[in-house]
Amino acid sequence: MSILEVVGVSKLFGALRAVDDVSFTVEAGEIFGIAGPNGSGKSTLFNTISGIPFGPDEGRVVFQGQDLSRLKGHVIARMGLARTFQRETAFDTLSVFENALMGASYGRAARGAGAAEVTEALQFVGFDKAMFRRPAAELSVYDRKCLMLATALAMSPRILLLDEPASGLTKPEIEDSITLIRRIAGRGITILLIEHVLTMLLTLSQRLMVLNQGRMLILGEPEEVVRNPEVIRAYLGDRRRAA
Amino acid sequence: MSTIVDIVMSGLFQGSLYAMIAVGLALVWTTIGVFNFAHGVLMTVGAYIAWQLASSDALGLPIFIALPIALLASAAIGLLMQAAIVRPFIGRPDVVLLAVITTLAAASIFENGTLLIWGPRPMQLPPLAAGTVKIMGIGISAHQLIIILVTPVILAALWFFLTRMRLGLALRAVAQNEDACHLVGLNVAALYGLAFGLAAALAGLAGIFLGGFTFMSPTMGSEPLSKALVVVIFGGLGTIAGPIFAAYIIAFFEAISIYFIGFYWTPALLFAVLILTLMLKPEGLFSRRSRSLA
Repeated sequence: MSILEVVGVSKLFGALRAVDDVSFTVEAGEIFGIAGPNGSGKSTLFNTISGIPFGPDEGRVVFQGQDLSRLKGHVIARMGLARTFQRETAFDTLSVFENALMGASYGRAARGAGAAEVTEALQFVGFDKAMFRRPAAELSVYDRKCLMLATALAMSPRILLLDEPASGLTKPEIEDSITLIRRIAGRGITILLIEHVLTMLLTLSQRLMVLNQGRMLILGEPEEVVRNPEVIRAYLGDRRRAA
Repeated sequence: MSTIVDIVMSGLFQGSLYAMIAVGLALVWTTIGVFNFAHGVLMTVGAYIAWQLASSDALGLPIFIALPIALLASAAIGLLMQAAIVRPFIGRPDVVLLAVITTLAAASIFENGTLLIWGPRPMQLPPLAAGTVKIMGIGISAHQLIIILVTPVILAALWFFLTRMRLGLALRAVAQNEDACHLVGLNVAALYGLAFGLAAALAGLAGIFLGGFTFMSPTMGSEPLSKALVVVIFGGLGTIAGPIFAAYIIAFFEAISIYFIGFYWTPALLFAVLILTLMLKPEGLFSRRSRSLA
Protein backbone atom coordinates (compact mmCIF):
# COMPACT_ATOMS: atom_id res chain seq x y z
CA MET A 1 0.00 0.00 0.00
CA SER A 2 1.46 3.36 -0.94
CA ILE A 3 1.72 6.00 1.75
CA LEU A 4 3.19 8.82 -0.30
CA GLU A 5 2.64 9.63 -3.96
CA VAL A 6 4.63 12.30 -5.72
CA VAL A 7 3.07 13.14 -9.08
CA GLY A 8 4.89 15.32 -11.61
CA VAL A 9 6.29 17.67 -8.99
CA SER A 10 8.35 20.69 -10.11
CA LYS A 11 9.87 23.59 -8.23
CA LEU A 12 11.08 26.63 -10.11
CA PHE A 13 13.51 29.30 -9.03
CA GLY A 14 13.21 31.80 -11.86
CA ALA A 15 14.22 29.91 -14.99
CA LEU A 16 15.91 27.14 -13.02
CA ARG A 17 13.88 23.98 -12.60
CA ALA A 18 15.39 22.82 -9.29
CA VAL A 19 12.98 19.90 -9.25
CA ASP A 20 11.71 18.97 -12.68
CA ASP A 21 8.67 16.74 -13.17
CA VAL A 22 9.56 14.11 -10.57
CA SER A 23 7.13 11.25 -9.89
CA PHE A 24 7.45 8.28 -7.57
CA THR A 25 5.49 6.30 -5.02
CA VAL A 26 6.64 5.27 -1.57
CA GLU A 27 5.24 2.09 -0.02
CA ALA A 28 4.26 2.04 3.65
CA GLY A 29 7.09 0.69 5.80
CA GLU A 30 9.89 0.91 3.25
CA ILE A 31 13.16 2.84 3.38
CA PHE A 32 13.33 4.81 0.17
CA GLY A 33 16.77 6.18 -0.67
CA ILE A 34 17.43 9.32 -2.70
CA ALA A 35 20.86 10.07 -4.14
CA GLY A 36 22.25 12.60 -6.57
CA PRO A 37 25.13 15.03 -7.01
CA ASN A 38 25.13 18.33 -5.14
CA GLY A 39 22.51 20.68 -6.52
CA SER A 40 20.49 17.88 -8.10
CA GLY A 41 17.37 18.94 -6.20
CA LYS A 42 17.24 16.40 -3.38
CA SER A 43 16.70 18.83 -0.54
CA THR A 44 14.39 20.97 -2.67
CA LEU A 45 12.31 17.86 -3.27
CA PHE A 46 12.05 17.38 0.51
CA ASN A 47 11.07 21.01 0.87
CA THR A 48 8.25 20.67 -1.64
CA ILE A 49 6.95 17.49 0.00
CA SER A 50 7.02 18.82 3.56
CA GLY A 51 5.92 22.35 2.69
CA ILE A 52 8.88 23.70 4.69
CA PRO A 53 9.48 26.32 3.57
CA PHE A 54 7.49 25.94 0.34
CA GLY A 55 5.26 23.52 -1.56
CA PRO A 56 5.61 22.54 -5.24
CA ASP A 57 4.93 24.92 -8.12
CA GLU A 58 3.59 22.12 -10.29
CA GLY A 59 2.34 18.64 -9.57
CA ARG A 60 0.83 17.01 -6.53
CA VAL A 61 2.06 15.37 -3.35
CA VAL A 62 -0.46 12.89 -1.95
CA PHE A 63 0.05 11.60 1.58
CA GLN A 64 -2.35 8.91 2.83
CA GLY A 65 -4.82 9.92 0.16
CA GLN A 66 -4.67 13.64 0.98
CA ASP A 67 -3.22 16.29 -1.30
CA LEU A 68 -0.48 18.20 0.54
CA SER A 69 0.50 20.57 -2.25
CA ARG A 70 -1.40 23.60 -0.93
CA LEU A 71 -1.09 22.93 2.80
CA LYS A 72 1.18 24.84 5.16
CA GLY A 73 4.25 23.19 6.68
CA HIS A 74 3.00 22.97 10.24
CA VAL A 75 -0.31 21.45 9.09
CA ILE A 76 1.57 18.78 7.13
CA ALA A 77 3.76 18.08 10.16
CA ARG A 78 0.68 17.59 12.32
CA MET A 79 -0.71 15.07 9.79
CA GLY A 80 2.23 12.79 10.53
CA LEU A 81 4.89 13.78 8.03
CA ALA A 82 8.07 14.69 9.88
CA ARG A 83 11.46 15.68 8.51
CA THR A 84 14.94 16.47 9.63
CA PHE A 85 17.31 18.94 8.08
CA GLN A 86 20.83 18.62 6.75
CA ARG A 87 22.08 20.98 9.45
CA GLU A 88 21.01 20.05 12.93
CA THR A 89 18.12 22.21 14.00
CA ALA A 90 17.39 22.48 17.68
CA PHE A 91 16.07 25.13 20.03
CA ASP A 92 19.37 26.04 21.65
CA THR A 93 18.25 27.56 24.94
CA LEU A 94 15.62 24.89 25.55
CA SER A 95 16.70 21.72 27.30
CA VAL A 96 16.93 18.33 25.60
CA PHE A 97 13.63 17.35 27.16
CA GLU A 98 11.89 20.61 26.22
CA ASN A 99 13.03 20.22 22.62
CA ALA A 100 11.43 16.82 22.30
CA LEU A 101 8.38 18.06 24.21
CA MET A 102 7.78 20.55 21.41
CA GLY A 103 7.50 17.62 19.00
CA ALA A 104 5.12 15.76 21.28
CA SER A 105 3.02 18.86 21.92
CA TYR A 106 2.36 19.97 18.38
CA GLY A 107 2.91 16.82 16.29
CA ARG A 108 0.39 14.21 15.21
CA ALA A 109 0.14 12.87 18.75
CA ALA A 110 -0.47 16.38 20.13
CA ARG A 111 -3.58 15.46 22.10
CA GLY A 112 -2.58 13.63 25.23
CA ALA A 113 1.07 13.13 24.41
CA GLY A 114 3.10 13.89 27.48
CA ALA A 115 6.24 13.29 29.44
CA ALA A 116 6.09 9.50 28.95
CA GLU A 117 6.19 9.74 25.14
CA VAL A 118 8.97 12.32 25.28
CA THR A 119 11.06 10.21 27.62
CA GLU A 120 10.50 7.16 25.43
CA ALA A 121 11.56 8.98 22.26
CA LEU A 122 14.68 10.42 23.90
CA GLN A 123 15.73 7.10 25.36
CA PHE A 124 15.02 5.38 22.04
CA VAL A 125 17.71 7.48 20.31
CA GLY A 126 20.12 6.92 23.18
CA PHE A 127 19.80 9.80 25.64
CA ASP A 128 19.92 8.84 29.28
CA LYS A 129 17.90 10.79 31.81
CA ALA A 130 20.94 12.64 33.11
CA MET A 131 21.11 14.46 29.76
CA PHE A 132 17.47 15.59 29.73
CA ARG A 133 18.06 18.92 31.45
CA ARG A 134 21.11 19.96 29.42
CA PRO A 135 20.53 22.90 27.05
CA ALA A 136 20.57 21.75 23.43
CA ALA A 137 23.35 24.24 22.67
CA GLU A 138 25.80 22.20 24.77
CA LEU A 139 25.38 18.97 22.79
CA SER A 140 27.84 17.51 20.30
CA VAL A 141 26.95 17.39 16.60
CA TYR A 142 25.98 13.72 16.82
CA ASP A 143 23.83 14.27 19.91
CA ARG A 144 22.13 17.20 18.25
CA LYS A 145 21.29 15.01 15.28
CA CYS A 146 19.91 12.42 17.67
CA LEU A 147 17.89 15.12 19.41
CA MET A 148 16.46 16.22 16.07
CA LEU A 149 15.43 12.59 15.46
CA ALA A 150 13.93 12.25 18.95
CA THR A 151 11.95 15.46 18.46
CA ALA A 152 10.64 14.09 15.16
CA LEU A 153 9.81 10.72 16.76
CA ALA A 154 7.98 12.41 19.64
CA MET A 155 5.54 13.65 17.00
CA SER A 156 4.59 10.01 16.26
CA PRO A 157 5.07 10.46 12.53
CA ARG A 158 3.86 8.00 9.89
CA ILE A 159 6.65 8.98 7.56
CA LEU A 160 10.03 10.52 8.27
CA LEU A 161 12.11 12.44 5.73
CA LEU A 162 15.81 12.33 6.65
CA ASP A 163 18.05 14.85 4.89
CA GLU A 164 21.68 13.67 5.02
CA PRO A 165 21.66 12.28 8.55
CA ALA A 166 25.31 11.22 8.17
CA SER A 167 26.77 14.58 7.15
CA GLY A 168 29.46 15.78 9.52
CA LEU A 169 29.64 12.49 11.41
CA THR A 170 32.61 10.20 12.02
CA LYS A 171 32.70 6.60 10.73
CA PRO A 172 31.62 4.99 14.03
CA GLU A 173 28.86 7.58 14.41
CA ILE A 174 27.64 6.73 10.90
CA GLU A 175 27.50 3.06 11.94
CA ASP A 176 25.41 4.06 14.97
CA SER A 177 23.11 6.15 12.78
CA ILE A 178 22.54 3.21 10.44
CA THR A 179 21.48 1.04 13.37
CA LEU A 180 19.26 3.81 14.70
CA ILE A 181 17.51 4.43 11.37
CA ARG A 182 16.91 0.69 11.02
CA ARG A 183 15.34 0.65 14.48
CA ILE A 184 13.13 3.61 13.56
CA ALA A 185 11.98 1.73 10.47
CA GLY A 186 11.34 -1.24 12.79
CA ARG A 187 8.69 0.88 14.55
CA GLY A 188 6.74 0.85 11.30
CA ILE A 189 7.72 4.37 10.26
CA THR A 190 8.25 4.83 6.54
CA ILE A 191 11.54 6.54 5.77
CA LEU A 192 12.72 8.72 2.89
CA LEU A 193 16.48 9.03 3.09
CA ILE A 194 18.71 11.53 1.31
CA GLU A 195 22.36 10.68 1.70
CA HIS A 196 25.75 11.18 0.13
CA VAL A 197 27.41 8.42 2.13
CA LEU A 198 26.78 5.53 -0.25
CA THR A 199 27.42 2.78 2.29
CA MET A 200 24.53 4.10 4.35
CA LEU A 201 22.23 4.37 1.35
CA LEU A 202 23.11 0.89 0.08
CA THR A 203 22.77 -0.75 3.49
CA LEU A 204 19.44 0.83 4.33
CA SER A 205 17.44 1.53 1.17
CA GLN A 206 15.08 -1.00 -0.30
CA ARG A 207 14.74 1.15 -3.39
CA LEU A 208 16.99 3.94 -4.56
CA MET A 209 16.20 6.93 -6.73
CA VAL A 210 18.91 9.06 -8.31
CA LEU A 211 18.22 12.68 -9.19
CA ASN A 212 20.32 14.68 -11.62
CA GLN A 213 19.70 18.35 -12.42
CA GLY A 214 16.25 18.14 -10.90
CA ARG A 215 15.13 15.15 -12.94
CA MET A 216 14.79 11.53 -11.98
CA LEU A 217 17.63 9.60 -13.57
CA ILE A 218 16.74 6.14 -12.39
CA LEU A 219 14.72 4.31 -9.76
CA GLY A 220 15.24 0.71 -8.77
CA GLU A 221 17.16 -1.84 -6.74
CA PRO A 222 20.07 -0.05 -5.02
CA GLU A 223 22.75 -2.48 -6.27
CA GLU A 224 21.54 -2.17 -9.87
CA VAL A 225 21.19 1.59 -9.64
CA VAL A 226 24.79 2.21 -8.58
CA ARG A 227 26.10 0.02 -11.42
CA ASN A 228 24.14 1.95 -14.01
CA PRO A 229 26.63 3.73 -16.34
CA GLU A 230 24.52 6.90 -16.51
CA VAL A 231 24.46 7.15 -12.72
CA ILE A 232 28.22 6.69 -12.55
CA ARG A 233 28.69 9.46 -15.09
CA ALA A 234 26.40 11.91 -13.26
CA TYR A 235 27.62 11.00 -9.86
CA LEU A 236 31.33 10.30 -10.19
CA GLY A 237 32.74 13.55 -8.81
CA ASP A 238 30.57 13.36 -5.78
CA ARG A 239 31.27 9.67 -5.18
CA ARG A 240 34.97 10.34 -4.97
CA ARG A 241 34.44 13.10 -2.46
CA ALA A 242 32.14 10.95 -0.36
CA ALA A 243 34.72 8.18 -0.09
CA MET B 1 15.19 57.49 57.16
CA SER B 2 12.14 58.88 55.42
CA THR B 3 14.41 59.89 52.53
CA ILE B 4 15.44 56.29 52.03
CA VAL B 5 11.84 55.03 52.17
CA ASP B 6 10.88 57.71 49.68
CA ILE B 7 13.62 56.72 47.27
CA VAL B 8 12.89 53.00 47.65
CA MET B 9 9.16 53.45 47.03
CA SER B 10 9.76 55.69 44.05
CA GLY B 11 12.31 53.22 42.66
CA LEU B 12 9.97 50.27 43.12
CA PHE B 13 7.06 52.10 41.51
CA GLN B 14 8.98 53.35 38.47
CA GLY B 15 10.79 50.01 38.25
CA SER B 16 7.47 48.19 38.05
CA LEU B 17 6.32 50.35 35.15
CA TYR B 18 9.63 50.10 33.30
CA ALA B 19 9.77 46.33 33.81
CA MET B 20 6.28 45.88 32.41
CA ILE B 21 7.10 47.93 29.32
CA ALA B 22 10.59 46.50 28.80
CA VAL B 23 9.45 42.89 29.06
CA GLY B 24 6.95 43.51 26.25
CA LEU B 25 9.70 45.01 24.09
CA ALA B 26 11.93 42.02 24.83
CA LEU B 27 9.15 39.56 24.03
CA VAL B 28 8.60 41.05 20.57
CA TRP B 29 12.32 41.40 19.89
CA THR B 30 13.16 37.84 20.87
CA THR B 31 10.30 36.16 19.03
CA ILE B 32 9.86 38.29 15.92
CA GLY B 33 13.24 39.96 15.79
CA VAL B 34 11.97 43.50 15.33
CA PHE B 35 11.98 46.48 17.64
CA ASN B 36 8.51 47.87 18.16
CA PHE B 37 8.61 51.65 18.31
CA ALA B 38 4.83 51.65 18.61
CA HIS B 39 5.09 50.00 22.02
CA GLY B 40 4.70 53.35 23.78
CA VAL B 41 1.48 54.25 21.96
CA LEU B 42 0.06 50.83 22.82
CA MET B 43 0.42 52.05 26.38
CA THR B 44 -1.43 55.23 25.55
CA VAL B 45 -4.19 53.43 23.69
CA GLY B 46 -4.67 50.95 26.55
CA ALA B 47 -5.00 53.80 29.03
CA TYR B 48 -7.48 55.75 26.89
CA ILE B 49 -9.64 52.68 26.25
CA ALA B 50 -9.72 52.10 30.01
CA TRP B 51 -10.65 55.76 30.49
CA GLN B 52 -13.48 55.45 27.99
CA LEU B 53 -14.83 52.49 29.97
CA ALA B 54 -14.13 53.59 33.52
CA SER B 55 -14.21 57.38 33.72
CA SER B 56 -17.22 58.99 35.32
CA ASP B 57 -17.25 61.33 32.29
CA ALA B 58 -17.66 58.34 29.97
CA LEU B 59 -19.18 54.87 30.59
CA GLY B 60 -18.37 54.86 34.29
CA LEU B 61 -17.78 51.12 34.71
CA PRO B 62 -15.88 49.97 37.79
CA ILE B 63 -12.13 49.96 37.08
CA PHE B 64 -11.88 46.22 37.72
CA ILE B 65 -14.32 45.54 34.90
CA ALA B 66 -12.81 48.18 32.63
CA LEU B 67 -9.29 46.85 33.16
CA PRO B 68 -9.64 43.35 31.63
CA ILE B 69 -11.70 44.71 28.73
CA ALA B 70 -9.07 47.36 28.03
CA LEU B 71 -6.32 44.73 28.18
CA LEU B 72 -8.15 42.48 25.71
CA ALA B 73 -8.66 45.47 23.42
CA SER B 74 -4.96 46.34 23.68
CA ALA B 75 -4.01 42.76 22.83
CA ALA B 76 -6.38 42.80 19.84
CA ILE B 77 -4.88 46.07 18.60
CA GLY B 78 -1.38 44.62 19.00
CA LEU B 79 -2.42 41.52 17.07
CA LEU B 80 -3.90 43.57 14.22
CA MET B 81 -0.87 45.85 14.20
CA GLN B 82 1.41 42.84 13.85
CA ALA B 83 -0.66 41.41 11.02
CA ALA B 84 -0.82 44.73 9.19
CA ILE B 85 2.64 46.22 9.53
CA VAL B 86 5.09 43.52 10.63
CA ARG B 87 3.89 40.19 9.28
CA PRO B 88 4.06 41.18 5.58
CA PHE B 89 7.81 41.84 5.86
CA ILE B 90 8.86 38.79 7.84
CA GLY B 91 11.32 36.68 5.92
CA ARG B 92 12.75 39.64 4.04
CA PRO B 93 16.39 40.39 4.78
CA ASP B 94 15.60 44.04 5.54
CA VAL B 95 12.73 43.30 7.94
CA VAL B 96 14.41 45.08 10.85
CA LEU B 97 14.69 48.38 9.01
CA LEU B 98 11.21 48.08 7.49
CA ALA B 99 9.75 47.41 10.93
CA VAL B 100 11.49 50.50 12.31
CA ILE B 101 9.74 52.57 9.66
CA THR B 102 6.33 50.90 9.94
CA THR B 103 6.22 50.87 13.74
CA LEU B 104 7.34 54.51 13.91
CA ALA B 105 4.59 55.32 11.42
CA ALA B 106 2.06 53.39 13.49
CA ALA B 107 3.22 55.24 16.61
CA SER B 108 2.54 58.54 14.91
CA ILE B 109 -0.84 57.41 13.55
CA PHE B 110 -2.02 56.11 16.93
CA GLU B 111 -0.76 59.16 18.79
CA ASN B 112 -2.61 61.51 16.46
CA GLY B 113 -5.62 59.18 16.41
CA THR B 114 -5.79 59.45 20.19
CA LEU B 115 -5.53 63.21 19.92
CA LEU B 116 -8.36 63.23 17.37
CA ILE B 117 -10.70 61.01 19.39
CA TRP B 118 -10.03 62.14 22.94
CA GLY B 119 -8.51 65.58 22.47
CA PRO B 120 -5.43 67.19 24.00
CA ARG B 121 -7.02 67.86 27.42
CA PRO B 122 -5.17 65.93 30.15
CA MET B 123 -7.36 63.27 31.70
CA GLN B 124 -7.02 60.89 34.61
CA LEU B 125 -8.09 57.31 35.22
CA PRO B 126 -9.70 56.36 38.50
CA PRO B 127 -7.00 54.75 40.65
CA LEU B 128 -7.07 51.00 41.30
CA ALA B 129 -7.75 51.79 44.94
CA ALA B 130 -8.44 55.04 46.76
CA GLY B 131 -6.61 56.45 49.76
CA THR B 132 -3.04 56.40 50.99
CA VAL B 133 -1.07 53.96 53.05
CA LYS B 134 1.59 55.00 55.53
CA ILE B 135 4.83 53.01 55.32
CA MET B 136 7.50 53.93 57.90
CA GLY B 137 6.28 57.46 58.15
CA ILE B 138 5.91 58.00 54.41
CA GLY B 139 2.52 58.24 52.77
CA ILE B 140 2.14 56.32 49.52
CA SER B 141 -1.05 56.05 47.50
CA ALA B 142 -2.83 52.73 47.61
CA HIS B 143 -2.75 52.76 43.81
CA GLN B 144 1.04 52.86 43.77
CA LEU B 145 1.32 50.21 46.44
CA ILE B 146 -0.92 47.84 44.46
CA ILE B 147 1.26 48.33 41.38
CA ILE B 148 4.44 47.70 43.39
CA LEU B 149 2.97 44.46 44.75
CA VAL B 150 1.11 43.22 41.66
CA THR B 151 3.86 43.76 39.07
CA PRO B 152 6.24 41.09 40.46
CA VAL B 153 3.31 38.66 40.48
CA ILE B 154 2.54 39.40 36.84
CA LEU B 155 6.22 39.12 35.87
CA ALA B 156 6.52 35.82 37.77
CA ALA B 157 3.43 34.52 35.99
CA LEU B 158 4.99 35.52 32.67
CA TRP B 159 8.20 33.75 33.64
CA PHE B 160 6.23 30.62 34.59
CA PHE B 161 4.38 30.76 31.28
CA LEU B 162 7.58 31.08 29.25
CA THR B 163 9.56 28.39 31.06
CA ARG B 164 7.02 25.87 32.31
CA MET B 165 4.13 25.84 29.87
CA ARG B 166 4.19 24.30 26.41
CA LEU B 167 2.81 27.36 24.69
CA GLY B 168 5.44 29.50 26.42
CA LEU B 169 8.17 27.09 25.42
CA ALA B 170 6.84 27.29 21.88
CA LEU B 171 7.15 31.08 22.04
CA ARG B 172 10.78 30.75 23.11
CA ALA B 173 11.29 28.13 20.40
CA VAL B 174 9.95 30.33 17.63
CA ALA B 175 12.57 32.91 18.60
CA GLN B 176 15.34 30.52 17.71
CA ASN B 177 14.64 28.55 14.63
CA GLU B 178 11.71 29.10 12.33
CA ASP B 179 12.34 25.99 10.23
CA ALA B 180 12.59 23.76 13.27
CA CYS B 181 9.27 25.20 14.43
CA HIS B 182 7.50 24.19 11.25
CA LEU B 183 9.20 20.84 11.63
CA VAL B 184 7.47 20.10 14.91
CA GLY B 185 4.17 21.49 13.71
CA LEU B 186 4.25 24.91 15.37
CA ASN B 187 2.12 27.57 13.75
CA VAL B 188 4.75 30.29 13.47
CA ALA B 189 2.39 33.00 12.26
CA ALA B 190 0.04 32.42 15.19
CA LEU B 191 2.93 32.50 17.67
CA TYR B 192 4.16 35.83 16.26
CA GLY B 193 0.66 37.17 16.72
CA LEU B 194 0.54 35.85 20.28
CA ALA B 195 3.87 37.47 21.17
CA PHE B 196 2.74 40.83 19.84
CA GLY B 197 -0.68 40.57 21.47
CA LEU B 198 0.81 39.65 24.83
CA ALA B 199 3.33 42.49 24.63
CA ALA B 200 0.53 44.91 23.72
CA ALA B 201 -1.55 43.77 26.70
CA LEU B 202 1.46 44.33 29.00
CA ALA B 203 1.92 47.79 27.49
CA GLY B 204 -1.77 48.54 27.96
CA LEU B 205 -1.57 47.48 31.58
CA ALA B 206 1.44 49.73 32.13
CA GLY B 207 -0.58 52.56 30.54
CA ILE B 208 -3.52 51.96 32.87
CA PHE B 209 -1.19 51.86 35.87
CA LEU B 210 0.38 55.14 34.80
CA GLY B 211 -2.95 56.75 33.92
CA GLY B 212 -4.24 56.24 37.44
CA PHE B 213 -1.19 58.01 38.82
CA THR B 214 -0.46 60.97 36.56
CA PHE B 215 -2.41 62.82 33.91
CA MET B 216 -2.92 61.07 30.61
CA SER B 217 -2.15 62.73 27.30
CA PRO B 218 -1.79 61.40 23.77
CA THR B 219 1.99 61.59 24.14
CA MET B 220 2.08 59.88 27.54
CA GLY B 221 3.76 56.76 26.08
CA SER B 222 6.81 58.40 24.57
CA GLU B 223 8.67 59.23 27.79
CA PRO B 224 8.24 55.76 29.39
CA LEU B 225 9.24 54.21 26.04
CA SER B 226 12.49 56.18 25.97
CA LYS B 227 13.18 55.05 29.54
CA ALA B 228 12.35 51.49 28.58
CA LEU B 229 14.81 51.85 25.70
CA VAL B 230 17.52 52.73 28.20
CA VAL B 231 16.42 49.73 30.27
CA VAL B 232 16.55 47.19 27.46
CA ILE B 233 19.87 48.45 26.18
CA PHE B 234 21.29 48.43 29.70
CA GLY B 235 19.92 44.97 30.54
CA GLY B 236 20.08 43.39 27.12
CA LEU B 237 17.14 42.00 25.18
CA GLY B 238 18.26 38.40 25.00
CA THR B 239 16.66 37.16 28.19
CA ILE B 240 13.38 37.72 29.95
CA ALA B 241 15.04 38.34 33.33
CA GLY B 242 17.60 40.85 32.00
CA PRO B 243 15.15 43.67 31.23
CA ILE B 244 13.31 43.06 34.53
CA PHE B 245 16.43 43.44 36.69
CA ALA B 246 17.58 46.34 34.54
CA ALA B 247 14.20 48.05 34.95
CA TYR B 248 14.50 48.10 38.73
CA ILE B 249 18.19 49.09 38.66
CA ILE B 250 17.52 51.99 36.29
CA ALA B 251 14.48 53.08 38.32
CA PHE B 252 16.49 53.14 41.56
CA PHE B 253 19.29 54.98 39.82
CA GLU B 254 16.74 57.49 38.57
CA ALA B 255 15.13 57.90 42.01
CA ILE B 256 18.49 58.46 43.69
CA SER B 257 19.60 60.84 40.97
CA ILE B 258 16.38 62.86 41.14
CA TYR B 259 16.77 63.21 44.88
CA PHE B 260 20.44 64.13 45.03
CA ILE B 261 21.17 65.69 41.65
CA GLY B 262 17.80 66.93 40.62
CA PHE B 263 15.03 66.41 38.14
CA TYR B 264 16.68 68.50 35.47
CA TRP B 265 19.90 66.54 35.03
CA THR B 266 18.56 63.03 35.61
CA PRO B 267 17.57 62.28 31.97
CA ALA B 268 21.05 63.38 30.91
CA LEU B 269 22.57 60.98 33.45
CA LEU B 270 20.36 58.16 32.18
CA PHE B 271 21.55 58.76 28.66
CA ALA B 272 25.12 58.78 29.93
CA VAL B 273 24.41 55.28 31.33
CA LEU B 274 23.02 54.34 27.93
CA ILE B 275 26.10 55.58 26.09
CA LEU B 276 28.45 53.89 28.56
CA THR B 277 26.60 50.59 28.16
CA LEU B 278 26.82 50.82 24.39
CA MET B 279 30.54 51.53 24.64
CA LEU B 280 31.45 48.92 27.25
CA LYS B 281 28.94 46.07 26.93
CA PRO B 282 26.76 46.66 23.86
CA GLU B 283 24.93 43.34 24.22
CA GLY B 284 23.63 44.48 27.62
CA LEU B 285 24.51 43.62 31.18
CA PHE B 286 22.64 40.33 31.42
CA SER B 287 22.73 39.13 27.85
CA ARG B 288 24.85 37.22 25.44
CA ARG B 289 25.30 38.32 21.86
CA SER B 290 22.34 36.49 20.37
CA ARG B 291 18.68 36.91 19.69
CA SER B 292 17.11 34.16 21.68
CA LEU B 293 14.91 34.11 24.71
CA ALA B 294 16.88 32.24 27.36
